[in-house]
Amino acid sequence: MATAMIVTMIVLLLLGFPMMVPLIAATLIGFLIYLPIPPDIMIQQMLAGIRPSALIAVPMFILAADIITKGQSADRLIDMVMRFVGHVRGGLGVATAASCTLFGAVSGSTQATVVAIGGPLRPRMLKSGYSDSFTLALIINSSDIAMLIPPSIAMIIYGVVSGTSISELFIAGVGPGLLILLLFSAYAYVYARINDIPTEPKASWNERMQAVAGAVWPLGFPLIVVGGIYGGIFSPTEAASVCVGYAILLEMLIFRSLKLSDVFDIAKSTGLITAVVFILVAAGAAFSWVISFERIPQAILGGLGLAEAGPYTVLIAISIAFFVGCMFVDPIVVILVLVPIFAPLVDGLGLDPVLVGTIITLQVAIGSATPPFGCDIFTAIAIFKRPYIDVIRGTPPFVVILLMVSALLIIYPPIALFLRDLAFR
Amino acid sequence: MQDRDGQERGAAQNPNADNPSQASSETSVTTDSPASETAAAFTGVLKPLGILDKGVAMFEAAVLTVGILAMAVNSVANVIGRFIFGQSLYFSEELNQFLVILVTFAGVGFAARHGRHIRMSAIYDELPDKLRKALMVAIALITGAIMFLLAWYSFEYVYSVYGTGRIAPVTQVPIFLTLVWLPLGFMITGIQYVLTALVNLTRPDVYLSVTVVDSYEDTETQL
Amino acid sequence: DEWKYAIEEALEEVQGVYATKFKEYVEANSDHTVSIYPFGTLGESADTTELAQMGAIQFVDLSPGFTGSLIPELQVFLLPYTLPENPDVLADFYKTSSTINEKLAALYEQQQLKLIDMFPEGEVVMTTKEEVKAPEDLNGVKFRVMTTPLLVETYNQFGATPTPLPWGEVFGALQLNMIQGQENPMFFVESTKMYEVTDYITFTGHNTFTTAVAANLNFYQGLSDEDKKLVQTAADQAYDYIIDYQKGLTEKSLEKIKEAKPSITVTRLSDEEREPFRQAAEKVRQKYVELTGESGKEVLDGFEKDIEASKARVEGGGASEGSSDSAAASEETKASSAN
Ligand code: NA
Ligand code: NA
Repeated sequence: MATAMIVTMIVLLLLGFPMMVPLIAATLIGFLIYLPIPPDIMIQQMLAGIRPSALIAVPMFILAADIITKGQSADRLIDMVMRFVGHVRGGLGVATAASCTLFGAVSGSTQATVVAIGGPLRPRMLKSGYSDSFTLALIINSSDIAMLIPPSIAMIIYGVVSGTSISELFIAGVGPGLLILLLFSAYAYVYARINDIPTEPKASWNERMQAVAGAVWPLGFPLIVVGGIYGGIFSPTEAASVCVGYAILLEMLIFRSLKLSDVFDIAKSTGLITAVVFILVAAGAAFSWVISFERIPQAILGGLGLAEAGPYTVLIAISIAFFVGCMFVDPIVVILVLVPIFAPLVDGLGLDPVLVGTIITLQVAIGSATPPFGCDIFTAIAIFKRPYIDVIRGTPPFVVILLMVSALLIIYPPIALFLRDLAFR
Repeated sequence: MQDRDGQERGAAQNPNADNPSQASSETSVTTDSPASETAAAFTGVLKPLGILDKGVAMFEAAVLTVGILAMAVNSVANVIGRFIFGQSLYFSEELNQFLVILVTFAGVGFAARHGRHIRMSAIYDELPDKLRKALMVAIALITGAIMFLLAWYSFEYVYSVYGTGRIAPVTQVPIFLTLVWLPLGFMITGIQYVLTALVNLTRPDVYLSVTVVDSYEDTETQL
Repeated sequence: DEWKYAIEEALEEVQGVYATKFKEYVEANSDHTVSIYPFGTLGESADTTELAQMGAIQFVDLSPGFTGSLIPELQVFLLPYTLPENPDVLADFYKTSSTINEKLAALYEQQQLKLIDMFPEGEVVMTTKEEVKAPEDLNGVKFRVMTTPLLVETYNQFGATPTPLPWGEVFGALQLNMIQGQENPMFFVESTKMYEVTDYITFTGHNTFTTAVAANLNFYQGLSDEDKKLVQTAADQAYDYIIDYQKGLTEKSLEKIKEAKPSITVTRLSDEEREPFRQAAEKVRQKYVELTGESGKEVLDGFEKDIEASKARVEGGGASEGSSDSAAASEETKASSAN
């Protein structure tokens, strides 16, 4: 049954069907041919997919990002950043990666990050000479570091399912998260070198101060997001809507760069993008449900004979299982379904559950950015209106870096556990 | 839509690629398409339907705009309520869930109309025009059929929710009322795809949707 | 046959222990198999309830607090200081109450559900950043509750600022001090690590988290008499086991927490200290009657009558202990784990 579903999905995908169709058709095959239950339930599960109230952050950040991109705030902020890093080789690339990491870390939503940071920064990177595929891959993959840095929903779910300390998980994620950011930055630098991306002349401190002055109002955005969330004033979802309110005030009343009709147009296109992405989230949820209902992962993993395996084999098996699972299925469902299956193995070998959680979170992050089904890929396609192939073309080097870090983490756990031990042991 | 200016066709043909500053993150959609485009499917006897179709399009656009802005207002009001009046708006979450459903299912049809649904068209793009046209007809018909099927299932589902009488805890609104958009949205989407097949069968170009021509010359469409 | 059974918690948590017992009995005494689906794997509580109503799964755990949107009268389980505080009385009450086993069971049947069992999952406690001894201590405390009118009303009356928040954001919000409190049964506070981000655990005795086990009605009615008996016996066995298992569970969870976080302060409010909270609870009962009308009032009255009877049976006549009003419901939490 799993085979029929996956084959259908991939064939329809490659033929060029709208991507919701492969997901829905595969799910329908499950319902109509294999399951003894009414297909109405598929509708229920599609709805369940778009029900989590934290999802509201996605359209809200899309709306805010589009407003500040069409208005002046984004330009002013980026101008300011460029005055500081423009003269450094690869500086813009590194700044983009860092911004995505920070924003993603705080907002907790990788999709929102793709929009909010990628939206304004992508045109600037293209203008500076970075290729589009590199730019898109950099944005998508840097956004996914978010999952490793607290607060992280993936880690909370893992903590609850596995009974692991969530505070310890949060701290353990920071090391690998920063390591990945470092490696991405290095890659951006190397990329800029090889492709000879031109730098801007070094700005004087006077020019820099001018740019900062011009960006005073827009600096409210990072303040709302980072200060508001880490300061315990807003939840991430609330911060998103506060950004919308602030963006409208700023662009309409202070900069007077947008009219009410512009805001209406932006809202309409936000609605369109939201629908395009959410219908896939919905279809993906129904697909995941069938897999979960039929206990397919249990069947596959049960046949592997992992019971006698050693720690490295088990950690590698866990990495592969989560990586592959997240390629096709929503990460939260993957965690809920797979963690209990592996739990006895992890317990039996006495593996540190915090390490396992960090490894799993990393795989989940990679999965969201890898084809065929990655939410961040859909978001990037919908937002930037670029072909699927373009969006994923630049991904391989990033995935290689991520897999390297996965391997490092297995070989040398202190990357994750050092900070944890410092804080808790 | 994203595939129309696919890399396979050569970035040079993509005006955006030539001028990176234009390849902005611009996300808005030009929805007031020229009359000739909207009418593509509605020639001859089908003409009166064109008016209806236009009405549906305007309705969808209005729902998306209002839905998104209402989400923003509702969420901001909740924050303001909590900070200034020390009182959260308890209906806020339920209202937002309702709006997400509304926007998603009104938007599915709207996106179909404008050829905006995400596809992986790398192989499709390589095919000769004739084959692409045939494939597009097949894709549109099968997609349309699946949408009609989902419209039926969602009708059944909404009806069964109606039967249970489940209500939203805070607003006390019957849940089924928040779901009536599902069958409607799927049906409208199904119709869009059938029309797409129709246009492809009656017109020389390859159409991605009733309003969007999928051809080399068209790469700069705003959609 | 394969019977599918969805629960609202993980396998190691209370509902999981009950379901596992149920499964073991069924599989040992028949050819049927039971597949247990832990929380989230088939959707949230509302989804799994619907799945059972539609017959896609055969058994489901549905906490009455959630089911309140389906059967409003069930919100009685959310009322503070309504369920008996003494665990033995509570266990007897669930088993013998005609209000539950006849009146409420009939309401479940109208929803295509056969009520199999109802069992407690432990006292609901508050975990907060500051000490709570009296309602005044909750003034200005942003307290996360599940967004359901009676819980909101409860914490309003307790003096807190009830703050709705998706479950996934609660841990982070406590850590960052966006909210300063939440309530949950003890075992859940332990398993969800809420104690890592709060400093005080307070036993206010206002509620005991309750869950119901139900089967799809058509499925149940279609069972042979023998299978019906099998299901009932399995449920009875699991019930006795879980009541026993409950004893000391709260203490066990507490021990684990103290070991993981020695700095935690645990307070058990005295009867006297609970009094102002009890006073506040009266308004919530009024609100319940407002919301559910005559039928809800009958259920509430029936509860009081049945509880008196259980108390007389268990405590032996003189139900004068005055400790009877305890707590029932934090659906919220567990439910919310599915959010
Ligand atoms: Na994060
Ligand atoms: Na993926």
